[in-house]
Amino acid sequence: MDYMQFPLIILFVLLLGAVLTPLLMKRFNQRGTNFILGVLIVSLSISGYLLFQVMTQGSYMYNVGNWSPTIGIQFSIDAFSTMMVFFILLMSTLVVVYSLRDIEHEILPKQIPVYYSLIFLLLVGMVGITFTNDLFNTYVFMEILAMTSCAIISIKRKKENFMAAFKYLMLNTLASISFLFGVALLYMGTGYLNITEMANQIPVAWELYPTNILLALGFMAAGLGIKAAVFPMHTWLPDAHSSAPTPSSALLSGLVVKVYIFVTMKILFRLIGTEIIIVNLGLHNYIAYFAAVGMVMGSIFAIGQKDIKRMLAYSSVAQLGYIFLGIGLATSAGIGVSLFHVVSHGLMKSALFLSAGAVIYKTDKRKISDLSGIGYEMPITMVVFSIAALGMIGIPGMSGFMSKWYLALAVLEANQPFYLVVILLSSFLNAVYYLPIIVSAFLKPREDGSEEMTRDGIPRTMTMPMIIIAGFIILVGIFPQILMNIIERAVPTFL
Amino acid sequence: MEFLEIIMDRINYFGAATLFVIGLYTVLTHPNLLKKVIGLNIMETAVFLFMVSIGYVSGGNAPILSSVKEPITEAYVNPLPTAMILTGIVVAVSITAYALSLIIKIYEVYGTVELDEILEMRGD
Repeated sequence: MDYMQFPLIILFVLLLGAVLTPLLMKRFNQRGTNFILGVLIVSLSISGYLLFQVMTQGSYMYNVGNWSPTIGIQFSIDAFSTMMVFFILLMSTLVVVYSLRDIEHEILPKQIPVYYSLIFLLLVGMVGITFTNDLFNTYVFMEILAMTSCAIISIKRKKENFMAAFKYLMLNTLASISFLFGVALLYMGTGYLNITEMANQIPVAWELYPTNILLALGFMAAGLGIKAAVFPMHTWLPDAHSSAPTPSSALLSGLVVKVYIFVTMKILFRLIGTEIIIVNLGLHNYIAYFAAVGMVMGSIFAIGQKDIKRMLAYSSVAQLGYIFLGIGLATSAGIGVSLFHVVSHGLMKSALFLSAGAVIYKTDKRKISDLSGIGYEMPITMVVFSIAALGMIGIPGMSGFMSKWYLALAVLEANQPFYLVVILLSSFLNAVYYLPIIVSAFLKPREDGSEEMTRDGIPRTMTMPMIIIAGFIILVGIFPQILMNIIERAVPTFL
Repeated sequence: MEFLEIIMDRINYFGAATLFVIGLYTVLTHPNLLKKVIGLNIMETAVFLFMVSIGYVSGGNAPILSSVKEPITEAYVNPLPTAMILTGIVVAVSITAYALSLIIKIYEVYGTVELDEILEMRGD
């Protein structure tokens, strides 16, 4: 079968799922569950086959509707975008399997079909942004993503959810408008919207209209900085990610933010090009400064939190700093490690949010101080939590260690040993807020005094995804080459 | 005089920039949630105005085949930005609708749409 059309088919299948889910399901039932999982598995297997084809046959450009790329929409199907799409669909399938039972606790029953419709639209947005090679198309998918990611927060009928969603929506729209202004300025300077065609025109445009390019870079950096929660612009993230229903938190923290990072990398390296970014402007240095501040400050904020989900959200701010530090180094090793950490942090943070959500599901405990002895009550959940938390700290054997190892090597290779100190400091701070949870979960006595080990007492559809994700964390930690082989092919497309 | 001419040649761009700043100021400083949404709409309008102005060719025809019986000039207005702005407007409308519905919900639970009062109620 011709695999060229597959990118569009994935989007089409997901859109079909979004439209049909609320129509087919009046109530949430087994048939509806089968349909949702069917759509996800079909799109996952298509993207898996596409990844296999791209790895063996090489990457290609797909023109939607066979319009010429100068006026039509073009998809860039390369090693990293297909891997990213496969990763997005894999993680969201696992999270959706988890959510099937968990979501009943969080939102009204009649809203459940709508929730899955929103999840599918969210996936359309993410897959679209990852594939597209057209700036205006990126903006459109960005808006789809912005709306749905706010909607899956506000679907939980609680006071703080509405405010968190409103704050997120305002900042998100502000960011989208800035991005669109940047697109307009670049279009003014180059006359194209296709990233490849634009990149060819940029050197000429830089000579003729440097103000346009500079302004556009400023607007886009501000917009994407808000969306990707770079340190001083992260204020929406803790509210949004901690108040959302657990599956939404896992998706938002693990995947949605990463997609914007991918857009940032596309614009910085593929579109504007290293010539202007590094040689003329030195923009990468500033990205690295902000990332370093974020790595430390995010962790310091996380230490002060009492709510476990809020702590995880602040930890995301710190971890996004690692990714941006890799981008800020602007070397091939740096780009490689930030792509690696995109996947590795997606795995770890989803596992953390899902296991924290499982604890909330069973015991309704959100405060970190209430968690003593929870390891005896829910052994599997807390083992998953511990694996992911140890990965965050950087214990060998977990994927987080490999990202820190590669990042440290990249920093040394770029001859900036100051950042090595920052990485070590940030790892230490990670340990300060993750280790007490593990210690109190497994070493402190239970509140009711009993010392028996009990079963987790949560549905199997909730434990299985967590165990699978934990398995992936260890797999990537021990065999990082699985990922690195794909990333090594993707890095030259950026530099 | 020359300065005025420069401004008059680029009046659309200056207008767009001014609108953008007015909108941004409203979004950032106004405590009323509804006015924040209005501010966002002004910002969106600014970007749309800017984008349509890029494609404008002075004295050009509308880019529709055989719209004018005898076209006076060969030049046509660039249709691409206009088409894109149509999409942009749709997006802006849906964002506004969603934001307004959120504000209704916020009013239901907090009893006010003033941000400072809401923050006082939440105690942070």
